[in-house]
Amino acid sequence: MITVNNIIKAYNGNIVVNIPQLIARQGEMVGLVGNNGAGKTTFFRLLLDLVRADKGEVVSNDKNVATTEDWKKYTAAYLDEGFLINYLTPEEYFYFVGTLNNRSRNNVDEFLKHFDSFFDGSILRSGKYIRDLSKGNQFKVGIAACLLQEPQVLILDEPFANLDPSSQLRLIKMLKEWQARYPMTVFISSHDINHITDVCSRILLMEKGRIIKDFDTTADTLQELESYFKV
Amino acid sequence: MILTLLSHQWKAFWRSRSASKNLAAQIFIGFIILYLLGCALFLGLSLRYFLPNIFPGQDVITVFCGLILYYFLVDILMRFLVQELPVLSVQPYLGQNIRRRQLVRFLNVRSLFHFLNLLPLFIFIPFIVSVIGAAHGPRVAACFAISILALTLFNHFLVLYIKRKTIVNSWWLVGFLAAVGILIALDYFHILSFRSLSTSLFTLLIRSPLLSIGFVALAVASFINNSRFLRHNLYFEEIARRGRQRQTTEYAWLQQWGLTGELVALNLRLVLRNKRAKTVALMSFVILLYGFIFYKPEFLKSDHSPMILMGALFITGVFIMNYGQFLFAWHSSYFDGLMSLPVNIPTFIRSQFVLFIAVSTFSFVVTSFYGLISWTIIPIEFAAYLYNIGINSVIVIYFATRSYKGIDLSKSATFNYQGTGMAQWLNIIAVLLAPLLLYAALSWIFNKWVGIAILGSLGLVSLLLQNWWVGLLTGQFLLRKHTILAGFREK
Repeated sequence: MITVNNIIKAYNGNIVVNIPQLIARQGEMVGLVGNNGAGKTTFFRLLLDLVRADKGEVVSNDKNVATTEDWKKYTAAYLDEGFLINYLTPEEYFYFVGTLNNRSRNNVDEFLKHFDSFFDGSILRSGKYIRDLSKGNQFKVGIAACLLQEPQVLILDEPFANLDPSSQLRLIKMLKEWQARYPMTVFISSHDINHITDVCSRILLMEKGRIIKDFDTTADTLQELESYFKV
Repeated sequence: MILTLLSHQWKAFWRSRSASKNLAAQIFIGFIILYLLGCALFLGLSLRYFLPNIFPGQDVITVFCGLILYYFLVDILMRFLVQELPVLSVQPYLGQNIRRRQLVRFLNVRSLFHFLNLLPLFIFIPFIVSVIGAAHGPRVAACFAISILALTLFNHFLVLYIKRKTIVNSWWLVGFLAAVGILIALDYFHILSFRSLSTSLFTLLIRSPLLSIGFVALAVASFINNSRFLRHNLYFEEIARRGRQRQTTEYAWLQQWGLTGELVALNLRLVLRNKRAKTVALMSFVILLYGFIFYKPEFLKSDHSPMILMGALFITGVFIMNYGQFLFAWHSSYFDGLMSLPVNIPTFIRSQFVLFIAVSTFSFVVTSFYGLISWTIIPIEFAAYLYNIGINSVIVIYFATRSYKGIDLSKSATFNYQGTGMAQWLNIIAVLLAPLLLYAALSWIFNKWVGIAILGSLGLVSLLLQNWWVGLLTGQFLLRKHTILAGFREK
């Protein structure tokens, strides 16, 4: 589904992403872990063609993401609040994203019913613009807008960071259920190694722009990661 | 403590990203402020020569005294428009071990650094020293100067107080405007003469200078009132505009246009819900009235038709110029997101054309009443309108693809040059100067109506080529997409 070939991105001579080869198949849940500055977010931006790669390419469904826009139809991402149109109400934002995916207003309303428990009553009809929501609630809007697109590729940057504990668990449950119904290629980064080993079938450990470990999740994975991050 | 906080403000000013990148714009603003202060000083120094000319046969000092209250009435209105509330600047300190009293004092002192507080000193002090001082002695002059200073501070803190109140409750705004309106009306219909009031008040001051204590007391009262309000309301969510109920709005009539309509609706909401964009749109409305300046009968008769054309270009195209130059920058805070959604670029650009044409058409239709001044204005304005929607809109979007600076939508637009760079200045030259030069050349070779006709037809032809332009502009945008994205990400 997604293939990364020899990609290099540097800022002022510092290499922040350097990945010789990476293939993510359909239905794979890939988790990225690594300390701050490991290059996770830049890597995600490269996947979305939001920064220009110095070398190499990202290929999505046999097409280079930098030369076509076809990937946008089946790719959804939420990296930070910069992905939300902050002066819209959540509903208006969902309708906007819905229109981009040929969904009618009713269809969107219907779809959003799946999120009732995730939203916990504080998103829809809250009488607030997105910019007035808390960070956690903004994130919930972001992820719902992603799933609204019924993507084949989903990219989430640190989804657990701003959510309360029950929402974190709900998100994990939701991602798993969703994945079982519609197999997506999912990229998630997180500092929470418990959650990420729980959700992902494959873990990439990044350090200074490189993938230094790439392994399928097993019972030992958590321990292995803990020993890496131990100080 | 206050000094430390003030030094932080000083650093914040010089280290803000827009400041360092925008040195040219800063210098430009600096020059404008210097120029205004220079004008004020010149006015102050020459008042003693001006006043006898304008009001011949009257005592200079009496005339001067009669004008002071007018100044402060205008001053309070000006302050209401341009004076900002330094609120956000205390936010990081609220959690620190700093006394509320100190923060309030800091907010008050910080607010004093405003050019409107210098203006009266520049205008009045020279006159007070040179005329009143000479006639009545230094003691009277000093008291007079103190009174002027006190009135300035009174206005300053009063406006801060009223503005803070309007944020909590909009009725204060209505009340304030009504009060000022009534005062002006009373004066206009000679029910209450500001001039005689001002004259008697200040000539009394000259006779008994100790009255200045009264003005100082007013200033102190206004200061205490503002401080007390701040001290009791130093909660971020209360001083900042928060917690209001927001409505989901639908533009059903735009939905039938599909994605293009949806994007136009997005722009409408952008304009209606964000301070800076709103100011730009309001400005465009105000400029519709510029016809009264540009479309003068004497310009129409004489050979000043370039003035008319310039006015027409401005009136029918000001929204295109002002809004369009930041076409992508308006969306800078969420441009990452927009670029990963399936919004295709040609549709995005086309939606901007639709918006431009709609607003321009509106401006043209509304301002066609200027035809009452002379029917010749209408063909000129029509040509300018066609030129704006056909050619200028393309130029503006082209320059927008070369503008890499983001915009913070929540900031106000007065004296705000954030996001302004070389591209914007070039843009304005290309948009206004090019058609004027072309017209001047054509009317010199042929005559003015041929010039107007050719200008209009060029616009029309270009308008018919719009699809081709959209393709070209899309290419230009894609070439620079990553630079734009990187620029917008640097807040």
